[in-house]
Amino acid sequence: MSVFVIGYYTILIAASCLAVYFERRRVFMLLFSLTLVSFVAGIIGGVGALRTITTLAAVLSLAAGVSYAFKEFLVQIARPGLARELRTAPLTAAFGMFVIFTYAIAGIFAPWIAPHGQAEVISTSFAPPDANMLLGADQLGRDIFSRIIYGARNTVGLALAATILAFVMGAFAGLLAAVKGGWFDQFMGRFADVIMSVPSLIFALLMLSIFGTNLFVIVVVVAVIYSPRVFRLTRAVAGNVVVMDYIEAAKLRGEGDWYLIRREILPNSTAPLVAEFGLEFCFVFLLIAGLSFLGLGIQPPTADWGSMVRENATLISFGDVTPLIPAAAIALLTVAVNFVVDWMLFRSSGLKG
Amino acid sequence: MGRFSDKDVLLDIEDLRIEGYSDETWVPIIKGVDLKLHRGEVMGLIGESGAGKSTIGAAAMGYARDGTRISGGSIEFDGMELTTASEGERRALRGSRIAYVAQSAAASFNPAHKIIDQHTEAPVHYRIKKRMEAQEDAKELYERLRLPNPQEIGFRYPHQVSGGQLQRAMTAMAMSCRPDLIIFDEPTTALDVTTQIEVLAAIRDIVDQFNTAAIYITHDLAVVAQMADTIKVLLKGEEVEQASTDRMLSDPQEDYTKSLWAVRSFKRPQKARPTDGTKPIISVRGVDASYTGGDKVLDDVSFDIYPGMTVAVVGESGSGKSTTARVITGLLPPSKGDVLLNGEPLPPKYTNRTRDQLRQAQMIYQMADTALNPKVRIREIIGRPAQFYSGLKGPALKQRVDELLDLIELEPSKYYNRYPPELSGGQKQRIGIARALAAEPDFIICDEVTSALDQLVAEGILKLLDRLQRELNLAYMFITHDLATVRSIADEVVVMQNGRVVEQGPKDQMFTPPHHPYTDLLLSSVPEMDPNWLTTLLEERGVDNIGEAGSETKDGSEKTQSA
Repeated sequence: MSVFVIGYYTILIAASCLAVYFERRRVFMLLFSLTLVSFVAGIIGGVGALRTITTLAAVLSLAAGVSYAFKEFLVQIARPGLARELRTAPLTAAFGMFVIFTYAIAGIFAPWIAPHGQAEVISTSFAPPDANMLLGADQLGRDIFSRIIYGARNTVGLALAATILAFVMGAFAGLLAAVKGGWFDQFMGRFADVIMSVPSLIFALLMLSIFGTNLFVIVVVVAVIYSPRVFRLTRAVAGNVVVMDYIEAAKLRGEGDWYLIRREILPNSTAPLVAEFGLEFCFVFLLIAGLSFLGLGIQPPTADWGSMVRENATLISFGDVTPLIPAAAIALLTVAVNFVVDWMLFRSSGLKG
Repeated sequence: MGRFSDKDVLLDIEDLRIEGYSDETWVPIIKGVDLKLHRGEVMGLIGESGAGKSTIGAAAMGYARDGTRISGGSIEFDGMELTTASEGERRALRGSRIAYVAQSAAASFNPAHKIIDQHTEAPVHYRIKKRMEAQEDAKELYERLRLPNPQEIGFRYPHQVSGGQLQRAMTAMAMSCRPDLIIFDEPTTALDVTTQIEVLAAIRDIVDQFNTAAIYITHDLAVVAQMADTIKVLLKGEEVEQASTDRMLSDPQEDYTKSLWAVRSFKRPQKARPTDGTKPIISVRGVDASYTGGDKVLDDVSFDIYPGMTVAVVGESGSGKSTTARVITGLLPPSKGDVLLNGEPLPPKYTNRTRDQLRQAQMIYQMADTALNPKVRIREIIGRPAQFYSGLKGPALKQRVDELLDLIELEPSKYYNRYPPELSGGQKQRIGIARALAAEPDFIICDEVTSALDQLVAEGILKLLDRLQRELNLAYMFITHDLATVRSIADEVVVMQNGRVVEQGPKDQMFTPPHHPYTDLLLSSVPEMDPNWLTTLLEERGVDNIGEAGSETKDGSEKTQSA
C-alpha cells in the first residue's frame, strides 16, 4: 500500500463523514459511493485506476472552480439587473460562457496569440511536438497549434455570419407571416417546407458545386438552408403574441405592420429566439465543419477545424491523437453553447417564476 | 360556533408564517395566522388579492408553492404535524384525506384524459377502491351533484363539458376518496351568475351530506355568506377578524371588514337621454354577425348610445356581448346591418376606417395582463396613442403622459418608466384606461373591466370611470355579467341572450318588475349578503331548475320562466 492509496481513502472517508455531520445528504451519497466504487476499481485496476479517478476528479473540480470564479467575475462587472440574472445561472452555464469567452479571445486575437502563421511551413510533415510546436506539425509541416487558433477565427466567424444571416431572414419572414396571415402566411410556410424537404447536406453540395466555393456563397447557402427552421419558430412564437389584446389595441389604433413587429411583437419573442440562436449556431457550425471535411467548405490554405480533421486523419492509424484535437475543439464549443442555451431556455420558459 | 366542540378539531394552524423569495431576500407573506377547523365545519377565507388566502389554503395541505417556504408555526392535521412530516407522508394525505378544488376547472383537468379516468385515479392509487367500484362511485357522485346524464358524462373529455359542469365534476373528484377536508380556491369566480348558483348549491349539498370540513377561499362576500359557518377576514397576510357568519354579517368589528361590507354602496345618479335631438354617438342598427362559416352569433342587434351616457350590456357568457363590441370596433364585419358614429355609417372593417374614426372609439379590456404589452414601458404605452393621433413629441408628449397619469390617479414620476408586470391588477387596469384616454375619444367600450379585480379595487376603477365621464363627457358601452356593477354605474341597460337583445331601457325601469323572464333569471341569480339567500332561492326555483340546467335547454328555460 503506497502513501497515495492510503491518502486517497483517508481523504474520501473523512470528507464523507464531514458531509454526514453537516447533513449534506447528496454530497455524502456522492462521496461515499465514490469510495465504494474506488474499492472495486482499486482491486481490479490497481493504483493506476485510482490515479485516473483522481485526475478526472481534479479536472472536473478545476472546471467547476474556473466556472464559479468566472461567474463571480461576470456578476461583479455586469449591470445590477443582469448581475441578478447571472447569479442564478448554474455552473454549467458559467462553464459554457467561459469556453465561449476563451474561443472569442482566441478568434479575435489569433495573429497575436498564434506563434506561427496559418499557412507557414516551418517543419517536416507530421513532425512530433517539440518546444517550438506545442502540438506538432501537420501533413505539410505547418504548426497545428497555430492552425487551431486561426481555425477559431475562420470556422467560428463563418458559422456566426451564416447564423446571423439565417436569423435575419427567417425571423423577419416569420414575423411578417404571423402579422399578415392569410395567403402570405400560407405561401411562406409552404416555401419553407420546400427548402426543408431537401436534405441539407445534399442541398449545400449542389449549391456549392453550382456557384463555386467562395466564402460569400457558403454563408448564403448555409443561411438559406437554416432560415426555414427559424421562420417556423418565429412564426409560432409570434403567433402566440399576435392574439394578445395589446396587439388588438395597437391594430385598432391603426398602427402599421412594421410598428407591430418592431415594438409589440419582437420584444415579446426575443427570449426563445435567442435560445434558438444558440442551438442553430451549433447546427450551422457542424454543417460548415462537415462541408470542410468534404472539401467544399473553406478552401486551403486557410485553417479550418473541419478540414484539419480530414487532412490529419491518417495519423489516427498510428495511434496519434492530434487529428482529434480540432474535433475536440468543435465538440467543446458545441457543448459550451448548449450549456448556455439550456440556461436561457430555462429562463424564457418562465420556470424561474 | 356552538355546533363544534374542541374534541372535533381537524385542522389546527398556529402562528403560521410563510415567506416568499423575491429580489434575493425572503419576504414575509403570512405573518402569523391561527386557524382552527372542526370536522364538518366550513370556513370562509376572504380578503383582497395578495392577502394570502390561497397561500394559507395550500399550507393547510402542508404545501408551499415554488418560491415560498413555511418559516414558522405549526400545522396540525388530525393529530399529525405537517410542517415536520416528510414529503412522502404529506403526499399520502393529499388527494385521499385533503382534497383541493382549483379556481379554473378547465385549466386543472388534463384535456387528454376522460373525466372519469381522472376521477378514479386517486382512489385507485391509494388502493381505496378498485377501478370499477370507483367508477360506480363517480357516477353516484355525479348524480348527487346533479350533473346532467350522470351515467355517461364521465366518459367525455373535459372540453366536451361546460365550465359549470366541469367545476362540479372537479368537486366530485375531490370527493372521490371521501376526504376529511376540501379546500375550495375560488371555485366559482370564473363562472356566470346563473352557473355559479348551481355550483354553489352542489358544493353546499355534498359538503353537508358527507360532513366534510372545508376551507372556502373567495373574495366575494355574498358567496361566502351562503357557504361558510365561520368567516375569517385576511389583510396582507394577517388576520383581521374571525366570527360566525351571522355575527360577521350583522356586526363586523373592524373598520377594514366594515369597508369590505360597504363596498358596492357606490351609486351614481342616473342620466336620461338628451331630448334636444342630439344624435347618438354610436348607433348599432339591425346587426347580424357570425364567425367564418359558423351560425349567427348576433341576430338583429340594435341599440343607441348617447354622448355622456353609460349603456350596460349584460348577459351570460356566449350571449354575444363581446361580439357586439367586436362589430363596433370593426374587428368582425357584420353580415347585415351597420354601425353609425355620430350619424355617419362606419366602414365595416377597421382597416378601412380613417384614423379619426379609429380615435373616437377606444376600448378597455377585461384582462389587463394581456391588454398591456409586458415589455413596453408605461410611458410608451400611454404616450404612443397621443403621439400617433396628435403627433406630440418630446417635452409636449411627456407633459401629456404626466397629465394622463395624474388623471388616473397614479404618481407620474413613480410610474413613468415602469413595466406593466411591476404593477398590481388595479394599477394595470388604470393604465389601460389612460391608454384609451390618450386618444381623446368620445366613446369607450369597457369589456368586463372590473370582473378580474377585487371588490375594493373594482370600486376604485368604477369611481374613476365615473369621474372621467363627468369631466370629459365620455360615453361608455359597459359590457358585464355583474349586475351589481350595472346597478352602480349604468344609465341604460341592454340585456342580451343567445345573440339577441331581449330587453333594453333605462336602468331604474330594468330593475323594477315586471322583467323579461331572462332578465329576471339574471337578477335573481346575483348572490345577496343574506346567508339564507341561496336556500330561499332554491326553494323558490325548485332543486332541478336552478341556473344553467334551467336555461340550457329550450324547455328548461320555459320551466324557469314559469317558476
